[in-house]
Amino acid sequence: MLDCRIQKARRAYEVTVDILAGGERVALFGPSGSGKSTVLSCLAGLETPDAGHIQCGHETWFPPPLALHYRSVGYLRQREPLFPHLSVAENVQFSLDAATRARERAWITEMRERLDLGALWHTRPHHLSGGQARRVALARTLCRRPRLVLLDEPFAGLDRPLARALARILKDWQERLGFILLAVDHDPLVLEGLCPRVIAMEEGRVVQQGGWAELRQRPATPILRALLDLDP
Amino acid sequence: MPKNLPRTLALCLTALFLLYPLWGLASPVGPWRWDTSGLPSALATSFGLTGVALAIVVAIGTPLAFSLRGAARSTRVAFEAVVLLSVLMPPLALGLLLALAFGPATALGGLLLRLGIPTSNDSAAFVATQVYASLGYYLLGARAALEAVPRELEQSAALLGLAPRKVLWRITLPLARLGLAAALSLAWVRALGEFGAIMVTAYYPHGIPVQLWVDLQDQGLPAVLPLLVVFLLTALPLPWALRLLAGTRDYA
Repeated sequence: MLDCRIQKARRAYEVTVDILAGGERVALFGPSGSGKSTVLSCLAGLETPDAGHIQCGHETWFPPPLALHYRSVGYLRQREPLFPHLSVAENVQFSLDAATRARERAWITEMRERLDLGALWHTRPHHLSGGQARRVALARTLCRRPRLVLLDEPFAGLDRPLARALARILKDWQERLGFILLAVDHDPLVLEGLCPRVIAMEEGRVVQQGGWAELRQRPATPILRALLDLDP
Repeated sequence: MPKNLPRTLALCLTALFLLYPLWGLASPVGPWRWDTSGLPSALATSFGLTGVALAIVVAIGTPLAFSLRGAARSTRVAFEAVVLLSVLMPPLALGLLLALAFGPATALGGLLLRLGIPTSNDSAAFVATQVYASLGYYLLGARAALEAVPRELEQSAALLGLAPRKVLWRITLPLARLGLAAALSLAWVRALGEFGAIMVTAYYPHGIPVQLWVDLQDQGLPAVLPLLVVFLLTALPLPWALRLLAGTRDYA
């Protein structure tokens, strides 16, 4: 269970968001600059909220701020870099020690096959295309089975069929492993396929939350209406 | 005229200009005299003590260069100004200043002497002078190498559950290793070839540069050239290879 209230001052406004989520997939949706990435950054530990609290399971992540390497979080950022001196295999298994790698062999094999990384397994990152690098980064993020998975525009730059395929895989894994998934993306169609629940944000505040059908039927603001492409 | 001809010509002429001094080894100075009496001792002094000096330089310089990454800009600029001063100091001036600051007649020099550390004409003075001469070169190179490691990669590693010490060992140092090696090679060449400052602070024991000078004075070129060849063959290949390797890295 993730229970958080994040307050963080930005130049133009203050981000204030409450999120309560169990083992589910939740979309953070809103226009650019609405504070979605700030929320993910605070949850991951890259930024410290000015006030509020973050509780994940039985652990308190804030306050006081818990160092990011102690948080069971997987954060796939917009331009997540791969480690250039390591092969794809080493990148994917980076977070696991030798004993855990042996224990998790089946999980690693499953990720390699479903994300179609087999042919790339011993390749260095600079030989990968953007889509391939994104799949490797996703596998690396999920490899240690974090309790909270944060995806910031996970499908940016990918064609829609590939984005949908990845969304399907993520959905399967989330349902099986039970982690909490928070995803941010500009494309409502991709998000809708991945996350049944949506939290809509504007200028740092939650303006609406619920299911996508409700959001489409009664969008709370004109901006949401425009983003959902509902204007006549 | 081929498009690349001017560039090729310019590169070839510069390379010839830079390599031309090596032709001096073929100068008609008479038969070389392989009088090796001073050679083993000079080689042992130079390589042994330079090794000690470089170990000290790396031990001090690497953590310092790493800690500078997180320092405020004003602190970095001020510290770099000091480091640059030591790098730009003419070697002879450095030797004179070291002798004046650490000489046996000074309070510090006297204290060190009483503690059994002679500050003149001794291995300790030799090593200390080399450290002064090369630390700045290593620091500047190491700082640049560490600064070139993208912070996002270190953040990614931390987000994957690695403690800062492990991030250093698994990300920062491997990615900076070629730059660090290049910095080390510069420091090595600077320390090993140091002559002006060593002449003043540690004429004894003779390292290779001083031995070359002594042989040139006493016996002339036929006795110096063999030692010069040995010096070049032993001193240059490692830093040369490291610099070339650093220039061919395919990432970062």
